[in-house]
Parts: sequence; structure tokens; C-alpha cells
Amino acid sequence: MSAPKSDWLLKPLKQRLFRSPSDTLLTLLLGALLLYGLFVTLNWAIFGAVWSTEDVAACREAKGACWSVIDARHRLILFGLYPYELHWRSTLACAAIIATVVFSCLPFFWTAKRLTSLWILGFGTYYALMEGSLIGLQQVTTDQWGGLSLTLFLFSSVVLIGMPMGLGLALARRSKLPVISRGVSVLIDFIRSLPLLTTLFTAAVVVPILLPSWLQGDKIWRVILAFSLFFACYQAEVFRGGFQAVPKGQMEAGRALGLRPWQILSLVLLPQVFRHALPGTINMVVMTFKETAIVIIIGLFDVLASANAAFGTGEWAPYYMEVYAFVGLIYWTFIFSLGQYGAYLERRMAVVSH
Amino acid sequence: MKQHLKKMAGLAVLACMVATPQSAAAKSATVQKIEDRGTMLCSGHNGSYFGFVEVNDKNEWKGLDIDLCRALTTAILGDPDKAQIVPLSWAQRFPALQSGDVDVIIKATGWTMGRDTELGLQFSLPYFFGGTQLMAHGELGISDAKDLEGGTVCVEAGTTIERIVADYLKTINVQHEMVSYEKAAELRSAYLANRCDAFAGWGPNLAVLRATEIENPESHKILNDQLSSEPIAAAMRQGDEDFVDVVNWMLAALLLAEEHGVTKANVEEVAATPPNPTVARLLGVTPGIGERLGLRETWAREMIAATGNFAEIYDRNLGKDSPYKLDRGLNNLWSHGGVLYAPILD
Repeated sequence: MSAPKSDWLLKPLKQRLFRSPSDTLLTLLLGALLLYGLFVTLNWAIFGAVWSTEDVAACREAKGACWSVIDARHRLILFGLYPYELHWRSTLACAAIIATVVFSCLPFFWTAKRLTSLWILGFGTYYALMEGSLIGLQQVTTDQWGGLSLTLFLFSSVVLIGMPMGLGLALARRSKLPVISRGVSVLIDFIRSLPLLTTLFTAAVVVPILLPSWLQGDKIWRVILAFSLFFACYQAEVFRGGFQAVPKGQMEAGRALGLRPWQILSLVLLPQVFRHALPGTINMVVMTFKETAIVIIIGLFDVLASANAAFGTGEWAPYYMEVYAFVGLIYWTFIFSLGQYGAYLERRMAVVSH
Repeated sequence: MKQHLKKMAGLAVLACMVATPQSAAAKSATVQKIEDRGTMLCSGHNGSYFGFVEVNDKNEWKGLDIDLCRALTTAILGDPDKAQIVPLSWAQRFPALQSGDVDVIIKATGWTMGRDTELGLQFSLPYFFGGTQLMAHGELGISDAKDLEGGTVCVEAGTTIERIVADYLKTINVQHEMVSYEKAAELRSAYLANRCDAFAGWGPNLAVLRATEIENPESHKILNDQLSSEPIAAAMRQGDEDFVDVVNWMLAALLLAEEHGVTKANVEEVAATPPNPTVARLLGVTPGIGERLGLRETWAREMIAATGNFAEIYDRNLGKDSPYKLDRGLNNLWSHGGVLYAPILD
């Protein structure tokens, strides 16, 4: 009577993979190809690899990856041009930003007051640690910020500023006053019809030529603001889709119950809008994370720029594959976590709606 | 007599200080701004450009262009560490200079007419000449393009290099077969697979390729012929001639130091007993070099002590002490077969 026990595994396998001779052939072929790919990858990344900086001489002969380059240059990739002896500050600042993002994902923090104080605390900590002069440490100007810590900062600032901005734009576009709704839709279409690169280049390079110096502010803030505006215009359209998915009758029902307009908005509309807009929002957030790499063009030293610098020197030049693999892994880790979180949110909201 | 002159000069300076700021002894507005700020803003790169702008294991900038910036910073502020390197992309460098994000562009930038006129820039003396060169397999045993007779040359399709190589080989009457490739990587692998006898590229890039991506660098030879040459110079904003003077004399001082054998190691020794009047003027023993630029008399001495002379800077970043082992070639002093020269220090 042992057959039924293994049936749950073997039977579907047999049905799906080995149903006919041609299926069997395909399965075996693809399986062999996959295994071969796995073998080649592992052989390169692990078995044939050289691991430490001291063994760099062995890299020339090695069949596999030369991870020595990561061993020697990972600080450059993670922290960019930040002064070497102050990397503990950059590390802590990174941790503060990651913690802020993780905490804002927890349902416990989902009230306006908690979220606001969390963000002010998180970003304040980041800025104080990175810049330093506010808490009596050595000052490090923003042009020395870089690497992963800069990418994370850009990403989270853009999303945190852009998200409420996007909601505001979406609401303004629904406004009954034609001046506001038309104005906003023109603005949204205008910004969306410009490439992100142009927007950022204008903010970083053209603005200082046009504006007097006291109005300019630091380059990094101009870039974050422009990027947020860009994000907000797209996100506004995602939210608009969410609004359109809510039947009109619900608003009328809310009015019939005597709810005030903001009550209808916050109690009836927004919870549903967020749910409908969630897949699109996660999509936007993930894209924004990857798009931060574009700031390389305006001379911000993000994780990709510092990766470029990491193999951009005579002794490490042959090992660019390893550096790109490492940076790819960093991106994958963050984006995969974001995606998983999105999936969790959808499950959670599904429970609420039924 | 000397004493008398000194007094006169002192009086002149005094008179200028009393007079309106415009007529103050050749003090550049840009230098004034740099002194007030206490840092010098130079161009870096958004990543790395082999040999010219790189980042070392301690997250610090290095490279030929970075060293020149540090030399200029020492000349103006007396401390190489007061150089602040602003990372810039290629596209961003000229707007960044115009908007004042940087004081000067020292970033492998070629001197062209368009940049000089339409973009409103001013260029210094060229400090580097890079141009099209050929690299050949070592086993052929050749060192000049004329020995390529009947050979195959690989080039990147559709670039100016393709035309330059064709023109050059035609001029020296070398029969050859040209094979072009769409991508640099294809070109490289074609050459390494012995598809062609030689391949063409920008000199410094060939040297980097030879030093880094080829397993046995000795088995490849960069040929002596210089097929074309692009003057690389520092770029500044139009309208501050005095700053151009400072940058030019910074470069001149580095070359003069090399010519007269003044190095990072021996500069104080030489300054104590200058071998000739030029060196005495260069190191500020005989006054003039500082005052006429609105700088300290010892700026060149401090600069050489901080970064070394031009040869030291070159060897460290591109030449024999670097991984690239790029021959000086054109980038040698005129007295050693190159085209670099300093104006006369009188």
C-alpha cells in the first residue's frame, strides 16, 4: 500500500512531463539544458572561483569567477566616494533607510501620524549621519555620497515624496473645477511626455544656469524633487485607474448616509482605490528602483556608477563580469523583496475584501 | 640692484591694492573665488576612465587628470587635499563648468574649434596628445606600420578611425586588407583570434586593453606610428584670462621641473642651491613666478613637492609605474622627441 503515498508526486509529474514520447523527449532535452546551465553557472561562480584579494594572482589562471575584485572593491560599490574611515556612518545610514522602508511596510505603522513620524525619524537619521555637521561629526558634502547608500536614499525619497504627490494630483484631476482638473491633466501629460533623463538633466544642469544661487539648493535635492514629480505624474494615473474602478453608486450612497466629502474619500473611496491600484503601484515602485541608475548621467555616484569605477582601474579591469553579477544580485535582492511584499499585501487585502 | 627691484615690485603691489580691484596685479576672479571658498572644484567622472580618472581601493580619486587637478589646487591653495572632485558625465561637463559646478574641466577633453568658440570655453596648453594607433601581434616582429605590407587590419566600422587608418596606409603606400566590425568587443575578439594582423584604436585605450584584457601583454606591440593626434587640454570659462594664465603656468611649471630634473624627492634640495636661473625662478628663489600670477612665490615648489613633476605624474598613472605601461611617445618633452614644451620662464 505504499503506491498511493508517492502518487501525489509521481502522478502529476508523469502526466505533465512524460505523457507521450515527444513530451518525454522535450522534458529530457530541456532538463539536460537546464542542468548544464546550472553546472556552468555554479562552476563559474563557486567551484572555479577565486575568493580573496590576496589570491588575485590566481585569477589570471582561474577557470571561474574572480571574487577578489568584490573583496577588494565592495566598499566602493556600497559607499561610493564616501570617505573611507567614515564608512560606519554610511553603513548606519543605509540601515536606517532600510529599517524605515521595512517599518512603513508593517500594518502597525499605517496611520498618518505614525508614518509621518517614522519617515521624519528615518530620513533625519540618514541625513544627520551622512552629512554629519548637524550632530557634531565631520561634514561630508552630498557630492561625496554614493554607492548603494545613495541609491537607497534616492529611491526611498522619490517614492515617499512622489506617492502623496501622486495621490494629490489624482484627486486634483478629479476636481469639479475645470481650471484645476484641466491644469493638472496638462501638467501630468506634459511631464509624462518628457523622458526622465531630460527632466533630471534639466534639474541638475540647467536650473543652476537659470536660477540665482540662493534659490538653487543642493543638486541632490533638485534631482530628488524632479524625480518625485516624474514619479507622481505616473502614479497619479495609476491612482486614477483605482478611482475609476469604484462604482459611482458608492459615493452617492455615502452622500445619502450624510457623510462629509472627506469622509467619503477616506472611508469609502481610498481603501478601495489603494486595493485596485496596488499591482500598478508595486510595478511603479520596482521600476523606480531600477530607474535610479539613470542618475549616473548627471554625475551622481550611485551603485552602478561606483560599480563602473570598481572595475575601472588597470588591475581590476578584466573582472567586470563579477562586478556586474554582484550589482545584479543587489538589485535582485531589493526588487524581489519588494515584489514579495506586494504579493503579501494583495493576499492581505483579499482577506479584507471578502 | 636686485634689492631695488624687489622694493619697486613691492611698491607696485601696494599701489595696486590701493587702486580699484579690477587693476589688482593679475589676480584672477576665479582664483579669488577658489580662495574664498577654500576648495577647488574639479571634474571627476561618473565611474572611471582608465588612467585619467579612476578610484582606488580606499575610495579616493586617482589618475592623470586628478593629479593635474591636485597640482593646480596646490598651486592656488597650497594643499592638494583641498581639491574637491565633482563626478560628472561626459555630457554634463560643459554645462557644469558654465554653471559654476566646477572651476575647471580636466577630463581627457579634446580642444576643438566648436568648444573654443560656440561653447564659450578657453583651453590651456595641451598636456596630452592621444590619437589613433595600431596594435599588432608580437610574433610578427614588426614595430612600424610600413611592415604591415599585405596584412589585415581590423577597425571599428563607421568611426573616424576607419578613415584615418585607410588614409594613412595609403599615404605610406602599404597594401593591406581592411576588415571592419560593428562593435568594439567583436573587434577585440577578432584580433585575439588572429583574424587580423593588427587593429586600430585610440592610443591610451589600446594600452589599457593590452595591459588588462590580454593574457600575455608582451606578445602584442603598439606600433610606433601616430596616425592622428588629438590635443587634450584643460577647459575653462571664457572671460577670465588670468585664470588661463594660472592653469597654463601650472602645466608649464610641471614640464619645466621635468626638464630641469626637479622631482618630488629633490625639490627642497634643488631650491637650496638652484643650478640655473630658470630653476631659481621656477622654485621662487628669485621672485616673480608668484607675484605675476597673483599667487605665492613658492607655489611651484609646493606643487612639485606634492605631486611631482610631469614625468612622475605620467609614469604613475599611464606610464611605466602604472598597469598600462604606455610609452611617452608624443607626450614626452620636445627635447626627448615629444611635443610637450613649456613657454619661456623669464
